[in-house]
Amino acid sequence: MISMPETPDEAALALEFDVLAKRAGLAIPEDRKAALFAGFKDLRRMLAMMRQPRTAADEPAGTFSIQSVTRGL
Amino acid sequence: MSDTKLFELSIADAGRKLRDGSITSTALTEDALSRIAAIDPALDSFITVTADRARTDAVAADAAFAKGIDNGPMQGVPYALKDIYDTAGIRSTCHSKLRLDHVPAADSVVESKFKAQGAVLLGKLATHEFALGGPSFDLPFPPARNPWNREHIPGGSSSGSGAAVAAGLVRMAMGSDTGGSIRGPAAYCGTVGLKPTYGLVSRRGVFPLSTTLDHCGPLSWTVEDSAIALQTIAGYDALDPASVDIPIPNYLDGLDRGVDGLRIGLPRHFFAKTEDVSAEVVAAIDSAAERLVKLGAAIEEITLPDYDLFNACGRIIMYTEAFAIHEQDYQRRPLDFGRLTHLRMTLGAFVTGADIQQAMRLRRELSRAVNLQLKNYDALITASALIPAPAFADLDPNSPPLWPIQTMPFNVTGNPAMSIPTGFSASGLPLSMQIVGRAFDESMVLRIGAAFESATGLSARRPTLAQG
Repeated sequence: MISMPETPDEAALALEFDVLAKRAGLAIPEDRKAALFAGFKDLRRMLAMMRQPRTAADEPAGTFSIQSVTRGL
Repeated sequence: MSDTKLFELSIADAGRKLRDGSITSTALTEDALSRIAAIDPALDSFITVTADRARTDAVAADAAFAKGIDNGPMQGVPYALKDIYDTAGIRSTCHSKLRLDHVPAADSVVESKFKAQGAVLLGKLATHEFALGGPSFDLPFPPARNPWNREHIPGGSSSGSGAAVAAGLVRMAMGSDTGGSIRGPAAYCGTVGLKPTYGLVSRRGVFPLSTTLDHCGPLSWTVEDSAIALQTIAGYDALDPASVDIPIPNYLDGLDRGVDGLRIGLPRHFFAKTEDVSAEVVAAIDSAAERLVKLGAAIEEITLPDYDLFNACGRIIMYTEAFAIHEQDYQRRPLDFGRLTHLRMTLGAFVTGADIQQAMRLRRELSRAVNLQLKNYDALITASALIPAPAFADLDPNSPPLWPIQTMPFNVTGNPAMSIPTGFSASGLPLSMQIVGRAFDESMVLRIGAAFESATGLSARRPTLAQG
């Protein structure tokens, strides 16, 4: 089973938040940082729910289809 | 002589009268424009009223009727569009500072279909910014309000569509639904709101929020009117990558067949024990289930995967796809977005490639679970909104609101889902439920909705504000 590491402490989460924001090229205004950080923690909770054992039948292979790409040409 | 006012005529009723000559499209249109002028200042459901265009459309429709030309059931009937639908020559703002002056050169496919039938465009409707951020007071236009109580929100993101239909300003308005943006406003405003199957209606020319979750669909006062709208807009579009090439049935056929003999699944665990749910919502759904049983359906409780999994899966995909769409503007002019849009959409920047792939795998698993159940049932019923419409005053203007609605699962799976009214709270606000069908079986969803609507007679009750 793939699993997310245990939830880091607040300081580590804040660091992760800053690194990811910088990587995405975002300058987050100070007055929005607290609200966005709260959203980030909720997002992290949801991301942890994505890690579950799955079979090959769950591969989202149907998301790319050359037929759908070319049919309108 | 009936006491029915013009605005109370459904599309179906108005269509009959237009065809027997007892009313004109011009009369319907002038009535609608007068109502918008009188009522909408209290609701702010319209961003742009296209009065000149509407009058021109109406004259053309009346001329067509006079010549015996009939281009379809929307001919001569007023409608309106959420302001994320492109309309050639008419500004399409997405309720955003970033698109204030955007005037598309071409129509969205949906608009072109209404135009081809000779329908009458009344205007463009309020939305949460880019179908995501709201309700907000820091945008170029005010947020729409709920006609049942204007201190309450109408839901979103198709906020203007829900408000305008409930107030009787228009019989049908188009919305879009990425996580519940048609069904949420329908639930809070007491209208019908239909999210069709993913791929049934072209999204081309509609500003995307999240391309694998976005759906176009109608909000209307009656189920039959949603069927008429769907008949107009459904169909294959080779230039929408999600569009599916399948035969389109007649959605009006069988609307009156009732529910006798149908098997309906009820995933009551989704909503009944959620801490956020209102007892009134649960009681109304239980009562609706009992009514469907009395009408001849068999209702059985079923189990689906946890609701939280559907919600997390959908939100992660939505944030990621939305951020990808807006990435450049986020980096160059982030403060031109409203605060709530900025806060919500920025979360997509924090999702990794592995995260999104895991979400897509889970999506497939969840879709299979729902569709396995639908092999045994003709449809499912479950909650739409878990509480009546919240008050503006109860929302924190600094953080994105997360009012409890349970619509995201069927964006994740792509199944058709329709919100319909089930009654009213003690405070006089609408309550609702969803009817969910097999992929491309909108006919069954509409049939069950029509039977329930007919049995309850709820559509007779209008907001006081709608009486003018």
